[in-house]
Parts: sequence; C-alpha cells; structure tokens
Amino acid sequence: MIAGAFLVVLGITGGILAFEPELDRLLHPHLSRLKPGGRTLSLVDIGEAASKKYSGEPVVAYLPSSSPDVPTAVILSSGVVSVNQYTGEVLGLRSRGQTVLGFMRALHVRLATGDIGRNILRWSTILMLISLTSGLYLWWPRKRIQIRGPWWSRLFWSDQHNSFGIFSLVPLLLLTATGIVIGFEDEVSSLLDKMYDTKPVHSNQTLARSEPSQASTELTPDQAIAIASAQLPGALPYRLQMPRYGGLYVVSLTYSDNRIGAERNSISLDPRNGRIVAVNQSASLTPRERFMATNEAIHTGNILGMPTRIMAALASILLPLQVVSGLLIWVRRTNILRRG
Amino acid sequence: MNRTIAIVTLLAASAMASDLTGKWSGTFKVDGGDHTVPQLFILKQQGKTLSGSGGPNAGEQYPIENGRIDGDEARFELTAGEWKFAYDLKQTAPGALNGTLKLQSVNDSRTAKVSLASSKGD
Repeated sequence: MIAGAFLVVLGITGGILAFEPELDRLLHPHLSRLKPGGRTLSLVDIGEAASKKYSGEPVVAYLPSSSPDVPTAVILSSGVVSVNQYTGEVLGLRSRGQTVLGFMRALHVRLATGDIGRNILRWSTILMLISLTSGLYLWWPRKRIQIRGPWWSRLFWSDQHNSFGIFSLVPLLLLTATGIVIGFEDEVSSLLDKMYDTKPVHSNQTLARSEPSQASTELTPDQAIAIASAQLPGALPYRLQMPRYGGLYVVSLTYSDNRIGAERNSISLDPRNGRIVAVNQSASLTPRERFMATNEAIHTGNILGMPTRIMAALASILLPLQVVSGLLIWVRRTNILRRG
Repeated sequence: MNRTIAIVTLLAASAMASDLTGKWSGTFKVDGGDHTVPQLFILKQQGKTLSGSGGPNAGEQYPIENGRIDGDEARFELTAGEWKFAYDLKQTAPGALNGTLKLQSVNDSRTAKVSLASSKGD
C-alpha cells in the first residue's frame, strides 16, 4: 500500500515530465517565443546585449536558437538571458533555482529528498514490476476486457483494473524496466562494462587543453560554431561554451533525426587558431553509453518522438488509476472476507 | 605547562587556517545522485580573497567567482554552463577541506557533500 503511494507520485510526475519542454515554454512564453524577421545578429552582438543589461557579466555559454521563432539564450553567472537574435532586444532573465517543473523532476527521481527518497523509489519500481507481472498472471485465465456495473460497485473497479491494465501493460512494463535501469544505473553500468570489457570513461575523450594565454581571443563564437558544424555535417549546434581561463571553445551539437544520445556530440576548439582539439561523437558511444542512452530515450518517450511521448504520458497517468482501483478491489475483498 | 598548551593550540589553529593557495582535489556527491564527481581546484588566496579555477579535471576548469575566506571557512562559486556551483567549505584539518555544495540551474536546485585534499606537491 505504501509502495502504491510512491507509484502514484511516479505516475503523476512522469505524466507531467513527458511534456516538460512544452510546459516549460508555456510557463515562460515571453522568453521562449519571438516573431522572426530580419537578419540574425552575430553571437558576439547577442552576448554583448545580454552582458550589458546585467552589469557586464561575462558570457559563460550560448544556446543558439533552434528555430527561427525561438530566441537565442545567453548563459551568465546570474542566470540565462533570452535575447531576440534579430534585434538584440533582451527579453528577460531566468534566474537559477527550483521551479515547479524542477520540483516535479525532483519528486520523480528522489521524492524531492536525497538518497532515502531515491532508494524508496527504485525499490518501488521493483515492486511495480512484480505487480505488473502478477496482474498479467491474474488477468490471463479470463482475459476480460469490458467494464460492467455502476461506478461505485466492486465489479466496475475490477473490470476497469483489468481492462485498463491490459491496455497499458506493455508501455508500463517498458517504463518500469527502463526506470529500474535508471534507478540502478551504477550497478547496470558496471555489469555492461564487464560484459563488453569497456572502461567507464569515454575512450575517445581528449582532456588536453590549451595553455592559459593572456592574448585576446582571436576566434569568434560564430567562427567556432562554423568550424564545428563543418566537422559534423547535418548536426545542429545547440550550445557553445566560452573559453575562459585560456580554455577551449566547446561546441555541442545534435542530430534532429537521431534521438539516441544525439546530443552527445561535442567539438573542442583552440580559440587562438581554430584547431580542433577533441571530438566526441554519439556514433562512437561505448555499448554501455548506447544502452543507457537508448534506455533513457524509451523511458522519456523520446525514442520515436511525439507519438511515444504521448504514449509514455498516458501510461504514466494510468498508473495512479491502476493503483487506486487495485486498492479499492483489495479493500472490498478484505471486507467481504471479514464478514465471512 | 599551561603556556606550552596555549602555544600548541595557537600553532594548531594557525595551521588549520593556512593559506589555501595550491591544488586541491577530491569529489562531491549530490544527495540522491548516482556517482561521485571528481573535482580539481587551482586556488589562489590573497588575504581574504580567493580566486583561481575549478572543475572536474585539469582539462575543464572554470573561473572562481566571489571567493571569500573567513577564518577556516572558504566560500566561492563557479558557473559551468547551465549550472552554478556554490561551495561552502571548512578546513577541518591541515590540507583537508570539507563542506557542502549547492548546485543550481534555471529549473533545479540540489545539494552535495564535498571533500577536498590539498595536493601542493603536484
């Protein structure tokens, strides 16, 4: 029964988080949308506009616009600034701290607490796997898919539990199995590394960096993005980390048609000469990294885009209903047995 | 005897609040997180001001902001992309800094325990 309460939390928060990006934009419309038009300004101009507005804070990173009606974001120490890339108008700042959606995520992964909450949830997912399997075992002899009786009757809830349960079984099994993998990530990763004899650290990651230099940066952010984009044709740059303290430009890129670890492409560039110092590509993920990325894509519903996200959300929302109807059936059956 | 104890206590106290300049390495673990995350700091102390850089390794370093020393306590921040890291550390023994870390993005806020050791010989 207690595990059921945690499963209700997982279901409700999971259903909300399936649409986290859309809800986030909905909650911050003035920072998320703009009317496209005109020539796009350089990242330097966009960064200067943001920095000037907020006490000259240096730019930490840029999040280039992903579509013509989405503003460019500039990361400063105090938060993330949205800038109209056509006019240079600063649309506003999102300061750091937990939001409603952040709290939902915290509830979903650790009951908004620490290690205790996380352990409770990961063992609840094991119990959920047992419940789903036993539910299938109980359903199988009668194979009932119909709803009879008035809504307050035991028959109604029993039929609802059976019918909704069988329709949501496959997505719920997928969400549960992938949730278990996420909950026991360390253990699964160690197992996969042993199976494939791979090292935990990304093998092609190059950690070498330029020596600190007092010289002014020669390569502009736009040039850095152009070099990185040419290196990975078809990939879209979504993030540019600035080279502070003589470090490197790090351009992160993604492929829109690949949803498994697609965002794990990055190119590090020497800001003084544009030389590519390190390349990390999603195509060269280790078996463990690919497995974990695929697992995450299934769990979030991103694996096939919007259709699977909707499916994941519906299955998540059905979970609390199944818990409640299961509980009602159990309570009424217990009462009947007590009365003899 | 009392004088000796006083001198030893004073020496110990001054050793505890020693200059933090140098390399510090260790880990942090976010509450409810999976892994320990490696940390490497290259600190420069000038009076009560702390500067330098920090990050997961020598190849990924971010500048320290708002670094302050107050007795045996050190507070500083750094911004690494979407996340801001605010450290609140205490020198618990010579060459040992322990404390908490608050991580904040525009959506999330988390805490972690940090443990660093001096590696001045490096």
